[in-house]
Amino acid sequence: MSLSRLYATKELLKKITFLNASRAITSASILSSNAPKPIQKHDFNRAVSEAEKIVGYPTSFLSLRWLLSDEIANVALHLRKLVGSNHPLLKTAKNLIYDGKSNMQAWGLIVLLISKAAGQSNDLLELEQDKSAGVLHSQRALAEITEMIRTSHLIHQGMVNLQTLKKSGNELASDSELIFGNKIALLGGDYLLGNACLQLAGLRNQELIELISSAVRDLAESNFIGDRDDENVALPSDPKCKIHIEDESPLEHFESTKDIDMSLILGHPEREWSFRHTLASGSLLGKSCQGTLKLAGQSEELQRHGYSFGKHLALAWQASMDLEPFRMQELPYNTSFSLISAPVLFQLDHDPSLYEEIKKGRKSVEEINYRKIHEAVLSGPGIEQTKELQRKHGQAAMDVLNEFPNCDARTALQNIIMAMQCL
Amino acid sequence: MSVSSSRAASARLVQEKLCNLLFNNQQKCVTVKRNFGSTYLPQTNSFMKIYQGTSKFGSFINGIKQSQASSTSIPQHSRDYSSVHTQQPAGPIREYKIDPYMLLEDELKYIFEDIRQELHQGTNQKELIQIAEYYFDGQGKALRPMVTLLMGKAINYHMYRENNPRTVDAQRKIAMIAEMIHSASLIHDDVIDQSFSRRGKPSVNVLWNHKKVTQAGDYVLAIASIMLSRLKHDEVTLMLSAVLNDLVQGEFMQLGAKETENERFSHYFTKTYRKTASLIANACKGSATIAGADAPIVETAFLYGKNLGLAFQFVDDLLDFVSSSETMGKPAAADLKLGLATAPVLFACEKYPELNPMIMRRFKEPGDVEKAFELVHKSQGLEQTRFLARKHCLEAIKLANKLAESPYQKGLTDIMDLVLNRMK
Repeated sequence: MSLSRLYATKELLKKITFLNASRAITSASILSSNAPKPIQKHDFNRAVSEAEKIVGYPTSFLSLRWLLSDEIANVALHLRKLVGSNHPLLKTAKNLIYDGKSNMQAWGLIVLLISKAAGQSNDLLELEQDKSAGVLHSQRALAEITEMIRTSHLIHQGMVNLQTLKKSGNELASDSELIFGNKIALLGGDYLLGNACLQLAGLRNQELIELISSAVRDLAESNFIGDRDDENVALPSDPKCKIHIEDESPLEHFESTKDIDMSLILGHPEREWSFRHTLASGSLLGKSCQGTLKLAGQSEELQRHGYSFGKHLALAWQASMDLEPFRMQELPYNTSFSLISAPVLFQLDHDPSLYEEIKKGRKSVEEINYRKIHEAVLSGPGIEQTKELQRKHGQAAMDVLNEFPNCDARTALQNIIMAMQCL
Repeated sequence: MSVSSSRAASARLVQEKLCNLLFNNQQKCVTVKRNFGSTYLPQTNSFMKIYQGTSKFGSFINGIKQSQASSTSIPQHSRDYSSVHTQQPAGPIREYKIDPYMLLEDELKYIFEDIRQELHQGTNQKELIQIAEYYFDGQGKALRPMVTLLMGKAINYHMYRENNPRTVDAQRKIAMIAEMIHSASLIHDDVIDQSFSRRGKPSVNVLWNHKKVTQAGDYVLAIASIMLSRLKHDEVTLMLSAVLNDLVQGEFMQLGAKETENERFSHYFTKTYRKTASLIANACKGSATIAGADAPIVETAFLYGKNLGLAFQFVDDLLDFVSSSETMGKPAAADLKLGLATAPVLFACEKYPELNPMIMRRFKEPGDVEKAFELVHKSQGLEQTRFLARKHCLEAIKLANKLAESPYQKGLTDIMDLVLNRMK
């Protein structure tokens, strides 16, 4: 079994490239008119660090709290044993620690910003008005919980599938590095998830617990959608299985996927993309934004706006990241990109014959010629369509923001959306 | 609608079954040292009124009355009520036994059905459901839901002398959640331990992609957490959420223990509490809390669950040395192979200090597992472990006896036979 592909925790790698690119970008595109105090350069990092000041303290401290716990110190000790092995957990851990600032933390930051932008309801008891920098302590806790859930999910995703090992079973040498790596990854993820549950319970808001738990459910579910290779890397659906339907627009809102007919989703590029990524990221950010407004005692309607904002922002974000590999005219060797990214799905819809290449990856995506797909996407309409998709979700998030009163937090969020658009 | 009506029907069924059970039991006793009718019948007339006031228990009592009336004319046989689950009764021979599995049979069946239904509600992904419900096949011991249900009903009886449908429903939910947390941890354990089989069938990690299995475990937890939030009880939510933390920390403790000999036992106790007893204890506590019990009763419920959980795990660790793989449904000496030093080894270590280095290197060198296995059998380790388990069983019985006598309370004490004398 080839282990070389295990190196790549693609999700995270993608983000590093995304960030590095964002640092370099100094775009001169036209500023949107609804931003009252826009920053001149659409530098993503600057938008983030300006935003951090607004909500009181750099959100990167969020992660420090759980990094300082005994259990994690324990995990760190065990991690040292893995150094030199090929387990992807090392990469996940490295990214969590060194690249923590703008990636992982950004979600917590957004929850804090939307909390401040919406403010707190006057109906909230005086006792509960325990806040700093315009954000309730319970809202800060929620931002942290959101980060923990997301991190836990990334760690669990970064495991290795050892099912295919012939030696599977108890007789397996228990000191095998991969098994040990999986053990630590699984427990580390569980630790964060368990801690998130406990902190969530501590907020004593049962509706919020239900909401966030359903986001955890969606995250887990996202790993089952569509075809997958042996490492559970998602493969796009056959464009030929697309059924003609009147309304091609993506599902706006769903409580649970139980009654959703997958045949109306898989193979329809935008629907499939938005379904997959709503489960994998939109749901958590949307529900956290909704939840923080719930904590502030805001109306049901505003809470729904919160969900909509978070979901669209996450999708706009995803679309920006999807575009990243296609900014290069030629794909470097040994690099890969998400096969379920919007440009690939659009290209498959445009030219279903490309699916023949995808099919080669049913056993392992390593068999796929990524350069070939990259070339095909560059020559097709996929990139333009993805940019359109990105703008659409960015605008949808902007529209929600316009419902909020004008304040520095709102401006910061607008800046982040715009910086994203210009990435 | 249909679910709730079938539930009511099942509750009636249980009561009928209970009456039949008591009825038959009395017929079969040779020497009735204690008239068991009086155990359940209220001593005073005022209690009688309460009984007759509530329809369900009215019929329950009438059933017993009839059984008493008819029993006088029927010849009695010498056969105690026995069950497939017990090997032999522990402690003094009583006139009758309550088999909790019989008592709760229908409810337990519905619990698994309802869990599967909840799992189906959350997703349309077939493979996710398959993995998630793999261990909810009703083939396990269902110890957690059973104890939770028994405790709930015993407490309801203790406090109100009747079962309030709303409380009962919430307690059923807690039982379901306890089983779901347990199964989610089994699913993750199987990936961690690379196990081969469980409950006599291939374990999840053999059948499915490990990444999917891990996510399915998270899914079960998420569904359990959603159900928990719908109970709308802050304290209960906190209790059961804390269990998740205990479970993970217990696993961490198992990873690489390098404590000294003196610390080993306390390490083992803490680990056992976190990995096994915490869930049972907190489920019992939750069941009592949601019934509105006062602090001493809640504490009793918690301690009962804790002692039962500890005893259960000690026996489990013991069985790892004596039971064949066929009865256990998992390979024998599995703990040693995983590098774990459980109570039998720790006791054996007192007589055979050569076990010390083996414990430190987690039985990694060739021949370690076999040698340790042999030494444990040569020592008093197994007897001492059984003694330890018995001690906690007796403590649990003492706690259960603080509750008012009822079939369910009796179940709480009689379940200890199952815990102590089980073969798997």
